[in-house]
This record gives sequence, C-alpha cells and structure tokens, in this order.
Amino acid sequence: MSVQRKVVIVPCSGIGKTYGTVSREAAYEIVEDLRPKDAQLVALSMLVLGDESTRAAVAGNQAITIDGCKLACASKMVKENGGRVAQEIAVLDVYRRYKQFKPNGIAELNEGGLHLAHALAEEVAISIDNLRSKNKEGQNA
Amino acid sequence: MAEFLETTIDKFIFKVATDRSYSSEGLWVKAEGDRLRVGLSDFLQQRSGDVAFAEVKPEGTLLKMGDEIASIESIKVNISLTSPVSGTIVKVNPAMTTTPESINQDPYGEGWLVILEDGNVTKAALLDPQAYLALMKGQAEQEAKNQ
Amino acid sequence: MPDLPKKKIGIVSCSGEELPEGTVTRLAALKVLEQLRPADTVTICLPLFLAGGEGDRAFAKFYPTIAVDGCELRCAARATGMYSSKPAASLVVRDIVIETGLEKPEGRRHLNPAGRQAVEATAARMVALVDGLLGKQWDRRAGEFVQEPPNPEPQGLGEATCSCGLGTPIQKVQIEGQEVTLVALPLIFQQFRQAGKQPSESIARELLDTVKIYNSVPEGMDIQYRAVLLREYSAFCEKEPAQ
Repeated sequence: MSVQRKVVIVPCSGIGKTYGTVSREAAYEIVEDLRPKDAQLVALSMLVLGDESTRAAVAGNQAITIDGCKLACASKMVKENGGRVAQEIAVLDVYRRYKQFKPNGIAELNEGGLHLAHALAEEVAISIDNLRSKNKEGQNA
Repeated sequence: MAEFLETTIDKFIFKVATDRSYSSEGLWVKAEGDRLRVGLSDFLQQRSGDVAFAEVKPEGTLLKMGDEIASIESIKVNISLTSPVSGTIVKVNPAMTTTPESINQDPYGEGWLVILEDGNVTKAALLDPQAYLALMKGQAEQEAKNQ
Repeated sequence: MPDLPKKKIGIVSCSGEELPEGTVTRLAALKVLEQLRPADTVTICLPLFLAGGEGDRAFAKFYPTIAVDGCELRCAARATGMYSSKPAASLVVRDIVIETGLEKPEGRRHLNPAGRQAVEATAARMVALVDGLLGKQWDRRAGEFVQEPPNPEPQGLGEATCSCGLGTPIQKVQIEGQEVTLVALPLIFQQFRQAGKQPSESIARELLDTVKIYNSVPEGMDIQYRAVLLREYSAFCEKEPAQ
C-alpha cells in the first residue's frame, strides 16, 4: 500500500499589497475547491514561531510557496525552517501571464484579483498533480 | 560601490546613491567614461510599487531631454519616464524584458534602464545627491501625510 | 528648528489563514489602517517582518505597536516581541468574541455575519488603543478630540546616525546606575534650545512628556528621569549657543 502525502501550500498573505491577498485567496481555492485531498494549508507564522504540528507537516511533505512579491518571504522562511520547496510561485510572475486580470484591493479583491487568484490556483493544482505522479512513480520503482 | 544618503519616513527607508545626479522626477544619471547610464531612484521605485512590465525605448533611439525614455507598469501606476539628458540609446538593460522587478530589487545596480552615448547633460536640470535627498524627503513626507 | 518624527502606531496582525479568527484580524487591521485611522497607523507586514524586513523591524522597535492575533498562539505579538520590542498592546480575537458575547466567527475565506461583527468589534478596540497611545481624548459634547498630541508636521529624519538603521538620533544617559538609551533625545534638546527654553523644573517636566512620546519610561521613575533630563539638558545648553 502506498501512502500519498499532501503537498503543503504556504501563502505569504502579506497585508501591504493586493498581491498578498491574491496569494491567500489562491491558497484557499487550492485546498478547499481544487485539490482538497491532495493539499493542505500551512500558516507561515506558525511555522516560523515553532508550532510543532506545523513544523512536522512542512518537514514531512513537499511545499509550494505562493509569494505576493519578489521579496519572497514565504519561500525564504519555509526553506529556513526545514521545508522542501518543490515550487516557488510569485504572484507578480503569474500576473505577467494574465495581464488582463489586474488585481486591486487588499481587504477585498476586485474581479481582476479573483480571476488572477483562480488562474494561479489552477496552475498550482496542475503542479500538485505532477508532484504526486512523480512521488507515485518513485514509490512504485 | 556607491555610498548612500538615507532618510526614513515611517517604516520606509529611502536611499540616494552619492555617485550620480538626479532629475526632479526621480531618474538618476551616472557618467561612465563617455557614456551615461540611467535608472530609477530608490524613492521612485518604492513609490511606483512592484514593476510588472517595463517598456524601454529601443537601441538606436535618439533622445532629447524630456522625451519619453521608458514606461513602467506596476499594480499601482502606469508611468511614463522622461529622459533627464539627451543622447542615443546604445544599450537597453535586457533584464527589463525578463525580470523588470530588478528595478525594485536593485535600483542603483542591476535595475538600470539604458546606456546613452553622445550624451549632453544640462547640469542646471540635474540635482546633486543632497539636493535630490531634500526634494525627495519633501515628496515622501507629503505622501505620508496624504494617506 | 529640527523636526521630530510624527508618532504613529504600527499594526501587526497575524492574518492566520487556518482559522476564521485569523481572517478577522486581517480585516480589522485593514479597516483601521485604511478607513478609521489612516494618518495615525502604519501596517507591519508580518511575513516580511519574520523574514527580516529592515524597515518594519526598526519601526516596531521604536514606535508603539498593536498586535492583533486570532488565537492564543499569539503569533503576531510573539514575533513583534522577539524581533523588535514588546507590543504596546496585544489583542486576541477569541477573547474579544467572548467578552462581547458574539457568536463564534465562521468561514476563514468568507466570514459569516458573526465574523463580520467580530471585525467591527476588533477594529473598535484597536481604534481605542490607537487613540489612547497617541494621547487623544474624546470630548463628547464638542464631538471632537480635545487633547491633540504634540504633533509637529511630519518631517523626514535626516541621515542615519544610529545603528538601528531608522535614522533617529539616540543618546545614552545614566539613570540610577543603569545605561538607558533615549530615542530622539538630541533632536528634542535641539528643539527646546531653539525655542529658547531655559533649563528649569517646569521645562524638565515638558522634556519628560516629549521623551515619553518616543520612549517608554518605567512606572514610578518619572522623578528620576526628570532629574537626569534636566541635568543633561543643562549640559547641552552650556555647549550649544542660544539661537
């Protein structure tokens, strides 16, 4: 019997820019709508401040970080706290591919922001599928 | 390596490199032999926000002072940048196509915009670092007040 | 005349994604930052703060902060204390919900009505704290604040002279055998001197009130601080010519 682990999703949830809210909304869509059985959400501050169950989740699973800007706080802190980052997503890079979805608003995203979050979530969902396929192949080998 | 003047407004730290001159708009000009390198000041890049796209005039463009040299688009703004000097663009920073966020990450280094030749600097139109620091402080304080 | 920085309050919210209360902190903080007290508050981005954000950490070290957490883990409050200074105030949404008799918030992604009520209640608490920290008092009859804090026009701080990177001059003084660092003291002295204020007991009281804007003075130590400030200011005046 093979045991498939859940991929850990870590958004930055930065509060200073709309991109932070996009990262948060995308993370919710991944773990609640698109891949609820294959992905779990982890709060960055709990990881950094040493919550044991959070650290265990990150140590035992591959992570996909979603950063609002190029400061890449989520990616940096996951790596510094024992995580294996399988993919680093920068919302800015995704926006460049979906220029028509210009996000606005921090407390509440505008329509462009919601579309951007959705597009980002869809891309991450495919990445999760790919990661799990690779893991399965590795286990069957 | 450049040294910096620095000022802080609330939690924001703004740096002014001391080895170049500045337009009042916030573009810097650095003489490198017979060439001029142009980029954005730290204050201008912070005020603009994360740069998503940077469109720079192509190599070979003959610029007069005041002509558009580039336009940058961030989440916050679309701004047209005017050339602080005249000259011919001989090199455009390739990072402007692939990683325009280098304007934000390293405005005085890797985030340069263009290199000009046959440049003509009207000294009266440019500010030395101290003068730009004073101007920039006033602009930053006004923005903090208007929030 | 040298200008002193405007006192602002830093808001650090946990924004925890796993619980609805985390979303409450985020929205309450944004309500205060964007609508209720935009001129008096500054947002401290917690992930950036944790990752080593220089400006955020320096700000939180020398300006009062309010930490707003969703649950008893108090990530925002702990992080602020760990990397800068202990917050001036710390709120926990779960406690506010219990105290105000609200129903438990639900919906970490989209708050239910109870969650939105919790946002309002939390934001109201934060505003009261902001006003208190800034020394504002509300006159119900006049319908306005009556005691404006000493609030010079916001000005830049000039070149950095202290190691914190914030750019605010500091001065170390000896108070009861302990070395104490007082932020902005050189600027305060300059401002008083240029205003023509001569060293005296009443000026010492005024100095202490101004020092308290930028530094926390331990309870019961006002007399000792006043005496030291008077001594230091007298020495300063001897060195600096009157303007």
